[in-house]
Formats: sequence, structure tokens, C-alpha cells
Amino acid sequence: MKPKIAFFDFTSCEGCQLTVVDSLQTNVGLLDMVEIVQFREAMTEKGTDYQIAFVEGSCTRESDEDRLRAIREQADVVVALGACAHLGGINAIRNIYSIDEVRDEVYGDKGEWYETYQPRPIDAVIAVDAVIPGCPIDRDEFIAVVTQVLQGREPRIPDHPVCIECKLNETVCMYLRGEICLGPISRAGCGAICPKYGFGCVGCRGMISNPNLESMEEVLEQYGRTLEEARAKMSMFLTYQTLEEGES
Amino acid sequence: MTSLLDQTRFSESIYKPTMARIVDINDLTALDRLFTVELPDGVYLDHQPGQFVKVSVLGVGEAPISISSSPSRTRQTFELAIRKVGDLTGVLHDLQAGAMVGIRGPFGQGFPMDRFKGKNLLFIAGGCGIAPLRSLINQVLDDRGSYGHMQILYGSRSAADLMFKDELHEWENREDVELLLSMEKADIDWPACTTGYVTHLFPQIELDPRNTIAVIIGPPVMYKPTIAQVRNKGIIEGNIWLSFERRMKCGVGKCGHCQINHIYVCRQGPAFQYQHVKDLQEAM
Amino acid sequence: MQPAKILPKSAFPGWIDFLKRSYTVVGPKAMHGQTVFGEIETADDLTLEYNQSVIPPKKYLVPQREVLIEYKLDGTEVEAKFNEEATVVFGVHTCDLHAIKLLDLIFSKGFTDQHYAAHRDNTIIIGYECLTTCGPESFCRSMGTASAPESAYDLHIIDMGSDYFIQIGTERGEALFTGYDGVFTATEPDYARMNGTLSDKWQRFPYRLDVDVTEIPDLLAESYHSDHWQELADICLACGMCTQVCPTCYCFDIRDEVDVTLSVGKRVRSWDSCQIDSFALVAGGHNFRETRAARQRHRFMRKGKYQFDATGMVGCVGCGRCATACLVDITPIKTFNELYRRQQQQPEEVEA
Repeated sequence: MKPKIAFFDFTSCEGCQLTVVDSLQTNVGLLDMVEIVQFREAMTEKGTDYQIAFVEGSCTRESDEDRLRAIREQADVVVALGACAHLGGINAIRNIYSIDEVRDEVYGDKGEWYETYQPRPIDAVIAVDAVIPGCPIDRDEFIAVVTQVLQGREPRIPDHPVCIECKLNETVCMYLRGEICLGPISRAGCGAICPKYGFGCVGCRGMISNPNLESMEEVLEQYGRTLEEARAKMSMFLTYQTLEEGES
Repeated sequence: MTSLLDQTRFSESIYKPTMARIVDINDLTALDRLFTVELPDGVYLDHQPGQFVKVSVLGVGEAPISISSSPSRTRQTFELAIRKVGDLTGVLHDLQAGAMVGIRGPFGQGFPMDRFKGKNLLFIAGGCGIAPLRSLINQVLDDRGSYGHMQILYGSRSAADLMFKDELHEWENREDVELLLSMEKADIDWPACTTGYVTHLFPQIELDPRNTIAVIIGPPVMYKPTIAQVRNKGIIEGNIWLSFERRMKCGVGKCGHCQINHIYVCRQGPAFQYQHVKDLQEAM
Repeated sequence: MQPAKILPKSAFPGWIDFLKRSYTVVGPKAMHGQTVFGEIETADDLTLEYNQSVIPPKKYLVPQREVLIEYKLDGTEVEAKFNEEATVVFGVHTCDLHAIKLLDLIFSKGFTDQHYAAHRDNTIIIGYECLTTCGPESFCRSMGTASAPESAYDLHIIDMGSDYFIQIGTERGEALFTGYDGVFTATEPDYARMNGTLSDKWQRFPYRLDVDVTEIPDLLAESYHSDHWQELADICLACGMCTQVCPTCYCFDIRDEVDVTLSVGKRVRSWDSCQIDSFALVAGGHNFRETRAARQRHRFMRKGKYQFDATGMVGCVGCGRCATACLVDITPIKTFNELYRRQQQQPEEVEA
């Protein structure tokens, strides 16, 4: 019997699910391998019997937690799909403010009407079996991860820095172009696509396991950039992790 | 007839495995299984105890696995004791008899059995180190007259972690084998079982250091303290042999993963004379 | 050796067009202020006067990603795959020729790597004599790699102003002129001019190491316990760029890739780096080179000693690419010189 898979969205732009749809166009064979029972982005049916769950988006309110736990309960394998689910991502930028400030800023005097709390990655709430990082996810990596899950294996994602892939592209180093780049401390797997198109890495796939942050600071100094600028760059996807680090 | 090594070396690619059939699978422990693998007709495994083969599941990957059967009991079929520790070994454990696996090798240098002849043997295994050591032990047992006294020290976590229990009983019952077990949790009824590590067995053994070869195979943490004990018994460095586990990706001395300082474990090892590796910081 | 050829520069574009009919032609091209090796359409695409390329031409012999075997998952078909594209690589610097010679030794030693051999068989190497040093990070003079090695090239080009003096390394190199009539056989005066060009070049190649290349293996051996490795580790980002750009780094990983229908797959090798955390990790979880210090030491030991022990060639060819790539300025010139300085200070270093 084909494994049943379902896609869920939490707070996100749903761009990762669009990438999934996109990747299916060039990997039609996947549809012979699985039965998709729930995928709001692409179909109306909402089957609740599934083995593999892909979760896009970060958890941004208490009621999300119940929904996540229900998914965890049902699925044998839960995969975090994209930076919001994996890292908290862009949604977590607001965590530098108190929740009251955020309510006031966004909803004004109607703040009390809306349920919200500090956004977090889904693994802050439930156990996650695999991660497909990135903003958005890489379509080939999505297919590779799904394939490994179908094989009953634990998917592996790279744990080396973006610099490796950037060098393979023979891209001019962003620091030589006067730009800040988080490549030396960020997880590769994206093909270093941002530097390739002239944009310094913002770490959307998270940090590598053992980044040398002290040395990274010296690189910034050497190239005339400040720690504040780098922090600003890191805040885009890594605010949740940075704040956690500060607390512990 | 072709040896698998010739088949590997002289086929179109050294990375192309020969497909072989798993003909039998037996549980050794909760984590270890013994796979009996049968090469295609006309191909035989010609190996030395201590050598390894690269085992692959097509679509999953390849891993170096030491050969557990002795050359004396190996020809078209051979045995691999495989612990479930990672991606590939997990998949291997899910296979049923009849499944096909890819085999390349045998690679590396095994133990020089000819040099061991006429000597007393002190075999020391920790954990799944018994898997490659079993290849030596059975080789000696099948040519028993060529070797002197044989002592086997086998350290295991608990009775449930003991591998090759049937054979352990056989060895235990033989007059010409001295078998001592150590366990962190000695939950077994065994004539000679000590609570603790394999190093705790040394006070119980007597040996002639001038005529004894020691072979040590176990997890990385075991080597230094065990070698100290062996040296303490008066055995010289040149008579101590070890086997190292590394992540040999290619098996043929190219990929760099198994390198210890300048040594490629897949080519110059996995069996080493202690004196050749004792000063290598990355060795132990 | 076959007599050399003289190719007037005016005839060079025509020769490239001639080669393009039978081969994929690649060579150094200017890109965003850097030089990269890539496919060329006409001679205009080539930048023969160049500082070292970002990635060395080894990428044509050991591709970043290469399919070794293709198979059906049920094992009924397993097929080795080999490069079959006839390629001419133009403008390979002398340091890179030395590196190719080293790769030849590595991939033929013990077990012959047929995939490398296939690339080598299908790839014609045209060297290009450097007449000036690439930049401040290059130290080919010190490493003895500023001249072309005896083997490794099929043709070797020396720029003599109005024409090219082309040394013939192999028959297949010479065959690149078969059917092309814009080339002449070198005469005595041509050889004299060529020798003049070569002897003039040395004034433009400074020595940059304080230590002689023949002493490097011993220097490294004696520096194994140096504190300098930890000092490098303190600043090293472990980004792996140094190994990616190194012409004599060839370590690789092998992985399986499977079609989503789980019916066919391939075994792929790709460049790996000893500078990455997980490189020396074994299945039980033990990491035999866990610290950045151990990994930096391993890298320099490989270049300065281990590869020498294995092949008789020092593994560093002095191209300086790793220094150019490194964001924290870990350079072989500084490292070798610093190790040498310490060795001179403490001639009898006591082992800890």
C-alpha cells in the first residue's frame, strides 16, 4: 500500500508548499509512490489518515501546539518543511519585542482579540524526524528527502558551510565585494544560490554544528563591517536561536 | 574460478560491486546479526583474517565490514557480523535471506597468520571486536597443531551483548582453548566470567611473554588500557597486533577518510603491528 | 622528444577553431575579475595571461561530482560509467601541471582508478609557461614548480612575443596539429629564443619561503606537536575553501542517489574536505580528528609530508589558491615560514 502523506501549514508564506508543487511537476513519479491525502495548497480533500506529515510554518500561538501534537500523534514521520518550521524563521524576528508591544504595533487597540505568542520552530513543541531547511526549500532536496523517507531511512542534510558550495561555483567572495555574508557559519545545501546572484548569505538553512563565531567576528572587522550589521543579517532567520542562546 | 579481489580490481571499475546473495541471517544480539553471503558461481573469497569487504545496498550506500568467517571456512560463502549503528546497517538489518547485496574487496592487510604459527596466542576482544577476531580464532582452531596455547579474553557489556554464544560454549569446552569473559554486568552463569572490563582479566592469565602474540580488537577506548596490560605482561611491542575501525569510503586508498596521519587504514591496515602505530596521535 | 612547433599568434585563433571541430575546448576565462576554467567558443574567450584560476583545472580530471556506477535497485543491472567527452584543456599553469602529475600517481597507485584514467585518457592537457608570478600568495619558485614537469602535459606553450613555442609532450599532443597547416617546426634560432625567454623569467619569480622545498617534509614531521596548529585553529572557520581550491586535494565522499520511484539509482562521488567536522567520524560516533587544530595540522601534514611519503612529490605546488580563498589569512607561505622559524629557534624541540 502506498504511504499516505499530508501537508500542513502554520504561520508561513506557503512558499515551501509551492516549491513542493513545483517539484512534483518534474518528479511526477512521486505521485505513483505516495497518496497525498491532505494538501490545502493543492487540493480540497482533507484526509486525516496519514503516515508522513510535512509541516510548513512556525508555531505562533498556543492553539498551534494542539494541532502540532495531533499531527505528531497521527504521523509516523514528521518532516519540518522550510525555515519557518525548522528555525522559527522570519516570524520570530518579532521575538525581540515583548508580546504586548507586538500586539499594540500590529493590531492597535484590538490586540486582545487575537491569539498569539512568541513564534518558535516546530521542534520546540513536538519531536521532528527530519528537516528540509531553507527559505524556500530546495526542490531537489525535497525530492531527495522524500525518497529517503520512502526507503525507511533517516534523511541526511549537509552540515558543512555555504562557502564550500560557493567556491565550487567560483563565485567572487561577498567579502571581496564589500558585502556581509553568513556563508562561513551557515549550512550549505542551497548551492550557494544567494552569493551566486550577488546577495550575501542570510543563513536561511540555519547554522552549521560548530561555527567558529569568534573568528567570524574577526572576519567582519577585517573587512570593515560591524558585528551589529552581522547581527542584523542573522536576525532574519536566526532570531529564535540567537535569543535562546542569550538566555541559556 | 576468480577471486573476488581480482573481480573487484580488474572489472571495469574498482567501485563496481559484485552482486552477492544473502543466504542466511541469524541474530547474534539485539543489535548484531550474522549474515551469510554467497558469491556468484565461479567467484570465491580469498582473504586473510582481519580484512574487510565493502558491503552495499544499492540505493542506500556502502560500508566497510570486517569478515567474520575464517579463511578455512570460507570459499563461495562467507560471514559478516553486522551491528546496527547507522543508515546502511539499519537497512541491512531489515533485509531478508535471499536479498542481494554488493560486495567489493577483500581490502587491506589482515593478520599475518604465518608469522603467528608456532606462537602462543592471546586474543583480546571488546564488544563487536569479536566479529573479526572470530575469523582468526576459527582459522587457528582449524589448523590447531600449527599454533601454541590460545587464550581468548572477551569483554562484553552484559550477557545479552555476547556474540557467537554457541561458539563461545564450544571454545569453553575445548581443552586447547582458554576463554575468559568479562562483563560490566556479569549476569550469566559462566565458568570464568569477571565483573568489569576486559582489562580486569589480566591478573587471571599466565603466559610466556617471549613466545606470545597478542591481538587486540575492540572499540577505540579499549586500546590504550588494554595495550598497557599486555605490555605489563612482558609482551614486546612487535608482538602486539591491533585492528582499527575507520570510515573507509573507497577501500582502495584514495578517498582519504580512513587516514591516520600518513597511513591509509584501508590499504596498510586495518590490522597493524602496534609498534608501527603507537606514535600516531590519531590512531588511538 | 619530437621537435617543437612554432605557432604564429596570428594563426592561433584558427587553430582553436580547428580543435573545436573535434574537441570540447576549455581554458582560462576572465569572470568578474577572477579567472575560471570554462568552455571556450573562440580564441577571444581565452585569457592566457592570468593569475591562478579559482578552482584548478583538476576539475576536468576529478569532477566535483561524478557518477561512478548506475544500477537498478533490484541488482539486475549494475553498470560503471566513464567520462567519454574528448576535451582539450588549454593554458594549464606549470604548478597545476605538477599537481596533475601528483594526481596521476595517486589514482594509479595500488588500485587503478579507472574513472580517473578515463578522464585522463580523454583529456588533452596543454600547459602554459608562466613568465611571471601570479601574485603575492604564489610561491611556485620556492616549491620548484615554476617550470613544466617532464610528464603531465601533451603540449606546452611558451609565449615568445609574436609567436608561440610549443613543446610536444605526447604523440596525441602532436596530433592536434595533424591536418592543420598554420604551424611550423621549430628551428635552432627558435630554440635559442625560447631559452632566452625562459632564463629571463626567473628574475620575476621571487623565493617566498625561508625554507628549502627539500626540507619541508622533515620540517612538517618535526612540527607535528607545534603549538602553531592551535593558533591556526583559533582563527580557522573550518569552511573548507582551502581544500576545495587546492590542485592536489582529491579526497572524496561516495553517496547513493535514488530515483523517487525507487527503481534506479547511481553511486556518486563528490569532493569532500578534511576540514569539515564529520570527515573522520566513524560509525560508533568517535571522531578521530575532532578539533580544528588536528584538521589544520592534517591538511598541512598531507601537503608537506604525507603526500611526499606516498608519491615522492611534495603535495603543495605553491599556487597560493588556498591563501587567496581564506578569509582569515591562513596561508602556506606564512605557515611554512612560521614553522621553520620556530624550528630554527628550538633546534632540539623536546616532545611533550
